[in-house]
Amino acid sequence: MSELFVVGISWRTAPVAVREKLAFRDEELSGTLQAMTSALPVAEALLISTCNRVEVYGVARPGADPTEQVRGFLASQRGLAPGAVADVLYGHRGSAAIRHVFSVASALDSLVLGEAQILGQLKAAYGVAAGAGTSGPVLGRCLERAFGVAKRVRTETAIARGAANVSTVAVDLAKRVFGNLTGKSVLVVGAGKMSTLAARHLYASGAQRIVVTNRSPEKAEALAAEIDGIARPWADLEGLLVDTDVVISSTGAREPILTRALFKRVTKARRWRQLVVIDIAVPRDAEPAIGELDGVYVFDIDDLEKVVAANLAERGKAAEHAGRIVEHEAGQFEHWLRSQGVVPTIRALREKFARVAESELQKTLDQLARKDHSPAQQREAISRLVQLVVNKLLHPPTAALREAAPDDASLRAEVLCQLFDLEPVVPAETSELAEAPDAGEAQSLVHESAEPTASERKVAT
Amino acid sequence: MTSAHERLLSVAPSPAFWVAVVAYAAAAIALLIVLGGHARLRPAAVALVGLAFVAHGADIGWRGTLHVHPAQSVREAIGFLSFIITGGYLLASARYRLTLGGAAVMPVSLVLLVAARLTPAGSAPEDLSTLGRIHISLATVGVGVFALASALSAIYLVEERALRRKRFDTMAFKDNGAPLEALDRLSHRLIWVGFPIFTIALVLGAVWVSRLGESLDRPEYPLAAVTWIFYAALLVVRQTYGWRGRRAARLTLAGFGAALVVLLIYLVRRMAG
Repeated sequence: MSELFVVGISWRTAPVAVREKLAFRDEELSGTLQAMTSALPVAEALLISTCNRVEVYGVARPGADPTEQVRGFLASQRGLAPGAVADVLYGHRGSAAIRHVFSVASALDSLVLGEAQILGQLKAAYGVAAGAGTSGPVLGRCLERAFGVAKRVRTETAIARGAANVSTVAVDLAKRVFGNLTGKSVLVVGAGKMSTLAARHLYASGAQRIVVTNRSPEKAEALAAEIDGIARPWADLEGLLVDTDVVISSTGAREPILTRALFKRVTKARRWRQLVVIDIAVPRDAEPAIGELDGVYVFDIDDLEKVVAANLAERGKAAEHAGRIVEHEAGQFEHWLRSQGVVPTIRALREKFARVAESELQKTLDQLARKDHSPAQQREAISRLVQLVVNKLLHPPTAALREAAPDDASLRAEVLCQLFDLEPVVPAETSELAEAPDAGEAQSLVHESAEPTASERKVAT
Repeated sequence: MTSAHERLLSVAPSPAFWVAVVAYAAAAIALLIVLGGHARLRPAAVALVGLAFVAHGADIGWRGTLHVHPAQSVREAIGFLSFIITGGYLLASARYRLTLGGAAVMPVSLVLLVAARLTPAGSAPEDLSTLGRIHISLATVGVGVFALASALSAIYLVEERALRRKRFDTMAFKDNGAPLEALDRLSHRLIWVGFPIFTIALVLGAVWVSRLGESLDRPEYPLAAVTWIFYAALLVVRQTYGWRGRRAARLTLAGFGAALVVLLIYLVRRMAG
């Protein structure tokens, strides 16, 4: 049976300083995979390299355990001594490997539980492996199933619900006030990186206009150009506040810029229309007291972090349910994989039976064609044919039973009973069966078989 | 004032009434469970509200076949008011997730319905003129619309408070309730709808009372005027000064409070006979 394995490193086992040493660029993946499958006893392989993990998912050649060799291979590819990373590279085989792949796809193994990126990254990695010709039926089926499991986990559990980072929380909070952000305008005060991100998220959620203002007009222009916004002079701040719906503030000012006195004038001029102020600056840009004004909602960095923490806690609760889904699906996949091992045997058995039936049928047909037969003779010929086929098919197992050592014989008999759905047989009947296939007694066996036993009847139905 | 008339007024509750009562109670509980985090039960909860609404309508229809009409008395009108409130909630919840609102509205509808059906009928009113019927109908619809506006304002105040205090883990937050701006706007629109209806009802009521030759010194008359003044003031300050949000929501609730007191006085007087 071909066995799945995983060898890799992730944020769980190693810091970025170690992970970066083992990282692969996109254009290196294909060549690395081909080198691996030709050099090692690896039949199928996929390589995923993201900022949080570098992992090989593969299928071993029959009888081989290539995990150790893959460890060494990864190290040598990155110019490291095999011992340097051996203890941080984990290896899973069989069911543990299947569970790992399913967990990764479902973002249960991600740094941010339930994040959406990993699924896309995994699909891309699968695409590369397919392009390199290193993905095969087992790995392909495993990944297809993993994508299905990921979808199930996302829809059936709360694992991906609630914003998991500060800039999307800003969007969520604005939505609590406005519902739809379509047509709303956003004012970015200052030019922090976080405010840029938050403004982008708001824009992506439908906000119509982004206005940027900064003490330095050049910085305002630069940021406006970067995020498709409009730069406005700092002196217009009050007027800009009157015209906007969401303010994202992150200046480096030591004293609050958005003061209560300013906001009292602003809210009156706005006729108390709702205004969401997201203050990501430390020290804070907005005086907390403006949050008491009618229609003004102020959120500082702590509030945003608090929401993120609460959402992640909810995701954590959902992870347990998600884990059960992964467990169940992995079990089913394993079952499927195991059943693949007996497929060739089933095929051979069917072919052999078909061959025997075909050759005996041909002989009988030839006999019947040679001269005219009465209907009674034809019936006779057909019943002989059936008998011959049955005897030929039963000969090898009965011979094996008879020739087996006594200990082995009872085991074989038991297996036969299971395989042919026979009722447990007493020793006397077994000996009768053993005598039967001799040519002279064939006829009597036909008559005995005319009265089917209870278990045979069960098979027939 | 015939005895037959009295008998009709105290007509026994229909089977549909009992279905409505159970469905209202079950809907209220189901909505609370949804709020408790079992979002999957939402469709079932909304279906229960729908069932309550249908059963309630059937009960009104059944009474109609016995010649008991929604506008016949304040008692009947209160039952009809509860029906309007439930219908309005169903309409609004098709657009927004108003689980919290439903959990608040369902018990109100239930109490109003039970009060309207199970309180003693009291003596039958004087023969109702057409004017009287129109007055009662319009006043009921007007107050029903105000009740919906008030429910939205109440949700607004709860959600607004949670957001302002950054209580992100409260019930109001868990359900991703309706956005504040929408609640405020919807409540305002409802008052625009209810106000003219209520105004006409008041004028007709005054004409009716003066035709009956009764004096205008009953306490409910000035209170009804207070309700009207609250909503008139709300529309004016919103239009001219741009009042909205918290202040508007509080004024909406205050006006509805006055309207409720008027209804209570009617009901108590009727029960006292």
